[in-house]
Amino acid sequence: MANQKHSSVATYIIVALILGVITYIEFAIVEYPQEWLGRNWTLFWLVALSVVKFIMVIMFFMHLKDDDRTYTGFFSSGMFISMATFVALTAMFILPRSVASTRPDNVVAGAASHEVPQDVLDLVETSGLSRSPAAQADSPRPADRSVQITPPLAGNDASSYEVTVPGGAPAQASGEAGASGDATAAAAAGSDQTPNEEQASEQAAGGTTAEAPAATAASWDAEAGASVYTANCVACHQGNGQGIPGAFPPLADHATAVYEAGGREFLMDVVLFGMQGQIQVNGMAYNGLMPAWGHLSDADVANVLNHIVTAWDGPPAGFAPYQADEVAAQRGLGLSAAEVHAMRADLGL
Amino acid sequence: MSAQPAAPAASEQPVPYRATKLPDVKLLMWVFLASDTMFFGSLIGTYLAYKDRSLVGPLPVDVFDIPLTTVSTFVLLMSSFLMVLSLHAIRQNDIPKFRLWTAGVAFFGSIFLGFQVYEFVHFVNAGLSIHQNLFGTTFFILTGTHGVHVTVGVIWLVALIMDSYLRPLGAKDSVYVEIAGLYWHFVDIVWIVIFTVVYLVEFV
Repeated sequence: MANQKHSSVATYIIVALILGVITYIEFAIVEYPQEWLGRNWTLFWLVALSVVKFIMVIMFFMHLKDDDRTYTGFFSSGMFISMATFVALTAMFILPRSVASTRPDNVVAGAASHEVPQDVLDLVETSGLSRSPAAQADSPRPADRSVQITPPLAGNDASSYEVTVPGGAPAQASGEAGASGDATAAAAAGSDQTPNEEQASEQAAGGTTAEAPAATAASWDAEAGASVYTANCVACHQGNGQGIPGAFPPLADHATAVYEAGGREFLMDVVLFGMQGQIQVNGMAYNGLMPAWGHLSDADVANVLNHIVTAWDGPPAGFAPYQADEVAAQRGLGLSAAEVHAMRADLGL
Repeated sequence: MSAQPAAPAASEQPVPYRATKLPDVKLLMWVFLASDTMFFGSLIGTYLAYKDRSLVGPLPVDVFDIPLTTVSTFVLLMSSFLMVLSLHAIRQNDIPKFRLWTAGVAFFGSIFLGFQVYEFVHFVNAGLSIHQNLFGTTFFILTGTHGVHVTVGVIWLVALIMDSYLRPLGAKDSVYVEIAGLYWHFVDIVWIVIFTVVYLVEFV
């Protein structure tokens, strides 16, 4: 070691100065945005500058520049595995989405080989937006079904959150549904539990009875359902209910369809006992494991089911809110995850 | 490798087998740093995988304070600079300067930790706890793990200073200062990455 060449103090000072200047440049780029640089180039330079800092510290402060190559070898192999893990981890989360979004034929393939109702598929494909102006004028616009949560500016009190779940209640829509040919959209427009309820009612006033569904909606706790969903389901099924294609099946555009296919008890079973086995949703195969959520209370299960069935698609036809005692009775069945999967097949899904 | 039974017992200690001529402690430190790289790589990857997936606030743009974090980043960088001065001093058998620079590193490290404690308290007051949302969970795990590393480093450096009073340290012991320095610089480069990937990118 004695004859080993080490950087002099002067070198250290220069390196420290460069590191300080680079840190200031990084700060300045972010604090005083450079419009001419563009977002991508800004990102590029931020990453490049931090890589330069990284390498300078390793080379000069940690002496890898002059030290035995064995150290560099060990550290580089660690870095390599680390980067591979990093890339794999990131890709695992980002790729399924982008791959699925580049395959619009997914939805069409689903129509051919599975009995997904055509009106549901139409809604998936268009999101209700690409209908002709005449068709739009003919039927009321679907209400906003996104969950809106306004966090408090300060304080950590969960009770001060405002959770707004657009509401779910069966509109007495059979009459005008036939006329407009878009039953789901019409039903969804039936009521809206946002503070803008009056506006929503006015929008839907084109023949819809806005008061009747409001009475039904009051019989379950939308806020509790949303919070149970946020606490337990969001990690896989996502906040918008779209799941992650290929990994976790969507609930939006699907749970309501399952309900309408006679799956009222089946949905309770899935939550209480889990489900294992391959399923197809909108033409995509999912072969994962839905864990059993039997540890949730009966009321929580009922609330979250009401949320899932109504939050994105509006209430299904003939929807009666789940009740806690109903869940308690279903709990007594004690099914296995595989038996629940068999029930799904019985429903013809 | 076979022992030489006929050899005179000049030393009772068997000569350890060595694959390299490198000091074991230093090699071991590099191996540890390589493994720690994987550890932090996974944590940062997890943070990015869950980035922008929080359903409720506060979100990073609500709570991050870039000028403050820039200052604490600068403090940590300068502590790395003092660390190489400390190593240089002990190689020159200059114990007073070694103590001065090492104390400086520990002091700057403590300032960095102070900033982090302030930041954490500020975030929690703003409603961002570890179970608030995905951002809170991944952020606190990542920066908290880094903070634990800094804390261990500060304790290590203070122990080195105390050691210098308890027994005569000199250039022969410089490898022990060097490995403490390697650890400290590593903690620094991890923060270089976190500063860019977690903080700065948020405001681009």
